[in-house]
Order: sequence, then structure tokens, then C-alpha cells
Amino acid sequence: MENGGIELHIPDGFIPITQCIIYYVILIVALYFSVKWARSNLDEKRIPLLAVLAAGIFAIMSMNMPIPFGTSGHMVGGALVAIVFLAPEAAVLVFTVVLLIQALIFGDGGITALGANVLNMAIIGGFVGLYTFKYLNGIIGKYPAAGIAAWLATVLAALACAIEMAIAGTFPVNVGIPSMVLYHFFIGIIEAVLTVIVLMALDKFRPDLLAWNNATEGDA
Amino acid sequence: MVDITQIMRFDDLASKDSLIHNLEGRIKLIFTIFVILVCVMSKELFIPIVLETILLIILKIADLSYWDSAKRLLMLLPFGGAIIIFQPFIQPGNIIWSYSWLHITDGGLNWAILLLVRMIVCLTAIIIYSSTTPLQEMASSFRKLKMPRDLAMILSIMVRFLFLFVDELAAIRKSQKSRNFNIHGNNTPYKWRVKQVGYTIGMMFLKAYEQGERVHKSMVSRGFSDASEMFDEKRSPEKSDYLFIIAIIIIVIILEIIIFKYSGQLGYFGQNLSIN
Repeated sequence: MENGGIELHIPDGFIPITQCIIYYVILIVALYFSVKWARSNLDEKRIPLLAVLAAGIFAIMSMNMPIPFGTSGHMVGGALVAIVFLAPEAAVLVFTVVLLIQALIFGDGGITALGANVLNMAIIGGFVGLYTFKYLNGIIGKYPAAGIAAWLATVLAALACAIEMAIAGTFPVNVGIPSMVLYHFFIGIIEAVLTVIVLMALDKFRPDLLAWNNATEGDA
Repeated sequence: MVDITQIMRFDDLASKDSLIHNLEGRIKLIFTIFVILVCVMSKELFIPIVLETILLIILKIADLSYWDSAKRLLMLLPFGGAIIIFQPFIQPGNIIWSYSWLHITDGGLNWAILLLVRMIVCLTAIIIYSSTTPLQEMASSFRKLKMPRDLAMILSIMVRFLFLFVDELAAIRKSQKSRNFNIHGNNTPYKWRVKQVGYTIGMMFLKAYEQGERVHKSMVSRGFSDASEMFDEKRSPEKSDYLFIIAIIIIVIILEIIIFKYSGQLGYFGQNLSIN
């Protein structure tokens, strides 16, 4: 969950180009492994499936809803995609194209900051979301685990964003971390609730779509 | 996040006819990325301001409305603006204004101005690009510029289906409105409204996934396989395309030389305002 004021979409010009290159290298490595994952797990179905899902996520990200503090925000969904596929690689592929199109059409998030934005919302969001879910699933059950995973993914994505801005010199760490993390600490709760509702709906209507229902023992 | 239902309007704008619209897709993409890169690397105001002037001229040549473009720009500014507004108060430098514990530094103010100018130039470049390039041409440009095959195909199919989901979203909003559902209204409990948004997102997710499966089946029935390639209309850049891109590169080189040799004579515009 993020809102218009305190955004996770870093614009162009806020991060020096040398640091942007480092985030792009991380993005390229993540994409390499994600494409490899998709080829071995989704066969030729991967392309239309991930493409249409990306279009759906694009629409979902534009659904604004009111959040406390008098503002409005929208769902991000990095943890959701990773949990549905039980693979953060799916989130990386979907969010790379979504964020690229958002940057090119709407100027929402920068082209030079694309690497950093994918790192926060898909790589960190997806990995943290999935592995928190996997860890907690056996302890507290799948829905509470998914909720906490989505919340933690939002908070850590915000933390990463604050750290990147601090490294760039744009927002000092003593101001950036408290404001970004504290804010996302609360609005992450809504991301968590929405993630759980979506997972419940999918489990009810199309349980076959959830990888946890198809996973072999030990996968989920 | 900007309202994606606007995407239809942008694509209509992008299908118009002008010197800029008619430039080859790759040239427009390279131009946009080049302008953004130069702007992001600029530590002085001089180059971004000249680039903005050039972009405003291009906007005119492309027959785009200054007023509409300014409105789009103003809608996008708050995203970064929230960060920019704090800069004069949090960055080190000589204090030029203070009230109680609040103070503004010259370093912070300069940095905020530079960030704002950079942001305006980058967003103007994006507004021109998205208003002169249809989505399919964008995807095709990435393919021609050798984007990895899987990613390029995902991007191409995604932009085709964006319009479907924009329609879907508009239909959902209309049906909610017809039932007096107001997401921002306080006459229903907040918990209930969050739940409704969750169901809507779940439905969109489900529709997207099922549509993806249907698209796959229809593609397979038409001979799609792992070795399939997307069709690209054969169009090579023309002389005018090369001239356009060479002109902007030469202008930037001249601007860099001016900054290198005469930054002292440019006053505030030639001053290094960056803090990183």
C-alpha cells in the first residue's frame, strides 16, 4: 500500500546516475533468474499469463481507496503475486513491465530509478513477502501468515526506499526512515488486509490458481 | 497514482499526425531517455532549463496543448514534490532564514530548486513521449532495441490488454456508483469499504489470470509456441529521424562545453547546486 504523498515510486533525478546503475545491475540479475524460473515452471504459457496478469495489476494499482490520516492510497501487490505463484520471480517479471509502463506513460516513478523501484516493490516486496509467508505458514496458518508477510513486505520496501534516498543524499536517514517506515507501518496493515481478502477469494473460486494448493510437501 | 482511464486519451493523442508523432518509435524512445539521463546528471540549472525550452518547442511542433500538458505535469509533481519541499529544511548549509527550531539553508534551497527543475524536465519529456507514441509503438520500440525476448513479449501483450482492464475498471466503477457505493464516503464503516475493495481487487486478479489462460489457449490454437516471435512492422529510421537525434546530441555537447568553459559567467545558472 502506498499513497500519493509518501510514495515508493522514486522519480528521476532523485538518485545519482552511478547509484541508478547499481540498481539496474541488480534488476538485470533478478530478471535473468526470473526468466529462467518462468521458462522452467510456466512453459510457453508464461508469456500470455504474466502479461495479462501485469495488465490486471496495473489496473489494481490504480484503484485508490481512502486510508487513515485523510489521504488515499493504492495496493502494491508485490507480496500477493509472489505468494500466489510461490515465487518472487513472478513479482519481478510482472512489476518490471508494470513499473516501466507507469514510468513511460504516467511519469509515475522514474526511468533511471526503475532499477531501484523494482528492487523495492518486487524484489524486496516479493522475497520478503514470500519467505515470511513460508516461515509463518506452518506456525500461524496461511492467511495470518500472508497478512503479516504483506505487511512486512510493505514496511521493508519503504525502509529500502528510505535507505536508497539516504545513500543518494536526498533524504537524511534520521528523517527518511522514521517518516517512511512509520507511515508504511500503518498503511501496510491495509495492504495486508487486501492481500488476505484476495487470497481468500482466489482460494474459494479458483483454488487451482494458488501454487500452495499445487505445491508438493515442503514447498509451502 | 494517476487515473489509468486516462490511458485511452493518451493513446488518442499519440495517434495524431505531426512531425514529432511521425518520428520512428526507437528515435523517440532514445531521445526521451537521453534527455532524462542528461537532466539527471546535470548539477547546474543551465542545461535542464535549455532542455526544457527545447521540449516546449517540441511540444508546440507536436501540436500538443500547453495547458493540458501543464495540468498533467501539475498532477505528477506532488509525488516527488513531497520530498522536495523538505529539502531546504533538512539539508546542511548556511542558514538564510530561521524561526524557532525551523531553519532554511542555502544548500537545501539550491538542492530543492535543482530537484524541482530536473523533475519538471524529465516529466515534460515523458509527457511528450507518451503523447506522441501509441502504446504498441512503445512495445515495438523495446523489441527492436533488443529487449530480452520474454520480457519484450510480456510487455507487448500487456499493453494490448491494458485497454481491456481499463474498460473493466470503468465498468466496475460505474456499477458501484449506480449502487450508491462511495469509497470515500463515511456513511459506511471503513472495515466494510476495505472489504469491498479487497473483493474488487480479487475479482480483477481472477479476471486477469483467467483472461491470461484464455489468451494462451487462443494463441496456441493459432500456432503460438515457445519459438514464436512478435511481428514487427519493418520501418527503418529515415534521414529526418537521424537528424533529430543528432541535433539533440550536438546541442547537449555544446551545452556541456558552455558549462565546462563558462560556468562562472552564467551566474546562478552555472553554479553547482547538487549535494551528491
